[in-house]
Amino acid sequence: MKPILVIAVNFVREQRWPILVMLLWVLLLAFLGLTTEAARQGEDLLFMFKQVAVYVIAFSVFFGSSAIFNDRRSRRILSVLAKAISRQHYLSGLVLGITLASAIYCLTLGITGVWTLGEAGFPARQVWFLMLCLLAACMLAGTVSLMFSTFLNPFFAAGATALTMGLPFVLSYKSGDALWRLVIPVNALAAAVLKSSFEAPATGSWLPVFLALGETLVFWFAAARIFSYIDIAVSVE
Amino acid sequence: MQMKLALEFDHVTKEYRSLFGRRFRALDGFSLQVQRGEIFGFLGPNGAGKTTAIHLAMGFMRPTSGSGSLLGEPFGHAPTRRRVGFLPENLALYPRPAEQLIRFYGAVNGMKASELKPRAGEVLEMVGLEDHARRNVSRFSRGMLQRVGLAQALVNDPELLILDEPTSALDPVARVGVRELLLKARARGKTIFLSSHLLSEIELLCDRVAVLHRGRLRRLGRTDELLESYERTEIAARGINANGFRGATGLDRSSWQVGPDGMVRIAVPLDQQRATINQIWEAGGEVISVIPQRRSLEEIFLEVTSGTDSTPAGGVP
Repeated sequence: MKPILVIAVNFVREQRWPILVMLLWVLLLAFLGLTTEAARQGEDLLFMFKQVAVYVIAFSVFFGSSAIFNDRRSRRILSVLAKAISRQHYLSGLVLGITLASAIYCLTLGITGVWTLGEAGFPARQVWFLMLCLLAACMLAGTVSLMFSTFLNPFFAAGATALTMGLPFVLSYKSGDALWRLVIPVNALAAAVLKSSFEAPATGSWLPVFLALGETLVFWFAAARIFSYIDIAVSVE
Repeated sequence: MQMKLALEFDHVTKEYRSLFGRRFRALDGFSLQVQRGEIFGFLGPNGAGKTTAIHLAMGFMRPTSGSGSLLGEPFGHAPTRRRVGFLPENLALYPRPAEQLIRFYGAVNGMKASELKPRAGEVLEMVGLEDHARRNVSRFSRGMLQRVGLAQALVNDPELLILDEPTSALDPVARVGVRELLLKARARGKTIFLSSHLLSEIELLCDRVAVLHRGRLRRLGRTDELLESYERTEIAARGINANGFRGATGLDRSSWQVGPDGMVRIAVPLDQQRATINQIWEAGGEVISVIPQRRSLEEIFLEVTSGTDSTPAGGVP
């Protein structure tokens, strides 16, 4: 377990600059909270909050799609996987790292959201529920992109992830059956955040959160199986 | 027998495929056994398949056919690598202070934080970097980086060290330091599998060597026996008819030199020395001198890899 945590912390450390850039958005939200009258402009703040929130899903896809590629291109992966760590554990470390990076963002956004939206009357409990939805969506989206990145380059891995996450939404839209959205519930979780309002802050249920956690395990397992067959010493250029 | 082997390749073949299906065979039915407690030199020109063999042993890739074992476990068995130290060729490290980096690699290897702190300092001292422990490795020279690489390979006090070109970027002083470090490791019963282009170093360090060429094992044996098998003697003689004598003995043209003073110099393998001297006497000649010529590993390597070597492949004759 400890090597997995070490890999995860190392991942966050390596991604510290993108994470800091992400946090600038949250800082912008905090600045708006300071300069606007929350009670009067609560809707604007909520719109901004929702927008800033869903960015992290895209970031987690980029984190996931480039993590293995970066380590392979730089050949740093060789000195890591030369240690007593299996490829499954290495991937677990990356999934945990992506989750940690997303959690830092969600935590900061949650604190800012409670402070800015709380003043406008948005329940703090709902802010944290939305952050949990967001984190579950990031975990699943990051793991799906990590799975594709085991055999595709980051650009195609990100594209394949977008297609995989978008397909259930399209099927749901075409068939009118909302159950499709639960197949890969990133869309359902993002919708929970985007549809929240002062009138109906709780638009989501716990089901997509649990489904996302379960599916993360499934995609992690698939990623580990595929990655175990990859010649990692072969150049990725 | 199996328990005594540190590393074994059993008819391993590795093929790379391009995107368009073209195949390249990097290793072709390669078999090798490395005993525990020896320093083993792994030689071969660029593209011979040395790094591929090492990457297979470390589990970075799978063989197309054949199998192998590392410390008695099949290639790719992660827990076994806790007892292995590996220094890759073209080493790449995360940019952070040297001591932190060593602790990171130790932690990935499952070492406890309490044992890592003193051990990181110890291994950095071993490679002569104790004064640079807090400096970021991104500011290190290539030679210093290679020493950090060696330190991370040593952090877990491994039973088997697999080193791919460990001294290629080192200055002569550091190279001597690494050589002493490896000899000390062998004295403590460690096994060292050393791939290097620095043949003089291999000659000094290794108990046994293998020469790989185009994915196949060309030579394998004890270093001293290999050098002896290629030992020659230069016999200087006069009073013989050079052409007639050469025809009678069937000696190779390249082993024969006639000086302007009529002195004939003949280079013959050690086992033909006595017979050649007898032939000179029988032809009425006079032997002036007999000088043994020990050949370097470099000369043997060049012969083996250039195809001019007439010794049967696969072992020491």
